[in-house]
Amino acid sequence: MSPTGNRADWADDEDFDDPSVLPPQEVITNKDGTKTVISYRYNDDNKKVKVTRRIKTTVVREHVNPQVAERRKWEKFGLEKGHAAGPSFDTTSVGENIIFRPSVNWKANAKEAEKEGGEKGSMKDQLKDKKVKCRICSGEHFTARCPFKDTMAPVEEGTAAAPGVEAEEDAGGLGAGKSSYVPPHMRKGGAGGGEKMGGRFEKDDLATLRVTNVSELAEENELRDLFERFGRVTRVFLARDRETQRAKGFAFISYADRGDAALACEKVDGFGYRHLILRVEFAKRTT
Amino acid sequence: MRPILLSGHERSLTQIKFNSDGDLLFSVSKDKIVCAWWSANGERLGTYNGHQGAVWTVDVSPNTILLATGSADNTVRLWNVKTGECVKVWEFSTAVKRVSFSPDGNRLLAVTEKRMGFNGTIAVLDISYGENLSAQAAEPTLTIVCEESKATVAGWSFLSKYIIAGHEDGSVSQYDPKSGDQLENVQIHEFDSQITDIQFAPDRLSFITASKDKSAKLLSSRNLAILKTYISDTPLNTASVTPKKEFVILGGGQAAMDVTTTSARQGKFEARFYHKVFEDECGRVRGHFGPLNTIDVHPAGTAYASGGEDGYVRVHHFDKSYFDFMYEVEREQARK
Repeated sequence: MSPTGNRADWADDEDFDDPSVLPPQEVITNKDGTKTVISYRYNDDNKKVKVTRRIKTTVVREHVNPQVAERRKWEKFGLEKGHAAGPSFDTTSVGENIIFRPSVNWKANAKEAEKEGGEKGSMKDQLKDKKVKCRICSGEHFTARCPFKDTMAPVEEGTAAAPGVEAEEDAGGLGAGKSSYVPPHMRKGGAGGGEKMGGRFEKDDLATLRVTNVSELAEENELRDLFERFGRVTRVFLARDRETQRAKGFAFISYADRGDAALACEKVDGFGYRHLILRVEFAKRTT
Repeated sequence: MRPILLSGHERSLTQIKFNSDGDLLFSVSKDKIVCAWWSANGERLGTYNGHQGAVWTVDVSPNTILLATGSADNTVRLWNVKTGECVKVWEFSTAVKRVSFSPDGNRLLAVTEKRMGFNGTIAVLDISYGENLSAQAAEPTLTIVCEESKATVAGWSFLSKYIIAGHEDGSVSQYDPKSGDQLENVQIHEFDSQITDIQFAPDRLSFITASKDKSAKLLSSRNLAILKTYISDTPLNTASVTPKKEFVILGGGQAAMDVTTTSARQGKFEARFYHKVFEDECGRVRGHFGPLNTIDVHPAGTAYASGGEDGYVRVHHFDKSYFDFMYEVEREQARK
């Protein structure tokens, strides 16, 4: 403000031509009692930045004892002698926020929290609420006891057959070597066979969809019709209750091609089928 | 609430004290330095230098003109609060463990240690506030000798009517400050569990004791009757009664030399809040890394400060939830 006010010397006009000079700070008083301060500065990239700040001034009036007010004017002494007013950083700092809420039954709450904190409960207590979960059908039993173990078996048997084939190959490979034992990955074609096996296993898994929230009244051929429009379906498995023969609410659909499976997954997920909305996702590996 | 950490001391705190208006906080520690702080923002006003040994105790006169400190260098020093000058030194034969101004500020008591063949004593000194602050009585006007068990802490009851002292053996006694006679002696804490602190309620009609037997007791000044008992799970070093709200704050913790086992919640270095009437624990404030040696509450009840073995003073200004908290019966009472 002041430079423009008392600029009498014409030589100072030079400043106006200098583009690097910042415009003076502006202060605008708003109607609601706040002030808007507009100032300019250069940032780190040497660019001109306009800073607009709205400032609300609140006057907090506090009544203190005159003795206390008088004491506030005291000079510092001792080790603090000559130090500027205000807390110094080497003696005063602000701690982290503490949430302190007194409560009536604090003791009981604290005890509970301590228990939840763990360590104390035995393994048995920890597992008390845990449920057994089948890896095949997510039912409440061990995987080995799964009623669908047999029905699901074809998929696993298919993969299980591969090692048998490999074993025959290996038998030949063994004879060729002079030493008694050759580790599988060193054997001729062994690595390839293993890879093939893994590949086949994975391919099968990757093209299988897990469909959940299937209606109890669903039929396997209905599902086949539904999914076949996206590509060739190699297998449809609808889990059924052994006694009632009703569908258990989930199914597996295997495609010949993963691309088709992905498409089906995208399209059918959220599709309404027999009063329920299907949920489709890629089947997770059972192992 | 955000505590203000005051780190002006290099060794463990021994006592902290607000002045009567609560704007200043004085702290003493084993590092021979006495500090004065503004309680509102934690700014250090200054230090009072001159002690040659650990400073055990501090008290400020009710008019905030004089500051008294007692130290292991066997002296009680009187300081000009404003300038930091030492105006008077009294020599004793043993270390001074507690000093306390009477409610009117005209007398000062000093509790001396029992050591080197000397019995523990409580000495009463007259204090004058003339133009020249260094004009003070040279000798104590009264010396009470504690022959049975040494006094560890002491203070003045309402109207300076009694001197009340806590002893090493867990008993509390009442003395007549004029004659020095023992009027009463009551074993209130377990035998041989030292009383570590005595602090009076604002009206000085009752006081609270903290003891190594893991309990604190609220007693009547008049007849030493036990009014309330607060049970905790750790040896206590300090206890304080809050004005404005009906709480007591207890501080303590397992001393490092006594630790034999470690648990998940090590040390219990927390300030414990108990309801004064219901004897019920309402909450804890953690933060210190060592046992709490001393707690003092702002005379207006808006803040409290704690000093720990870790060398820090933490000043806590209570926030709204503290003032809003009420028991159901209290709330009903407030509604009427």
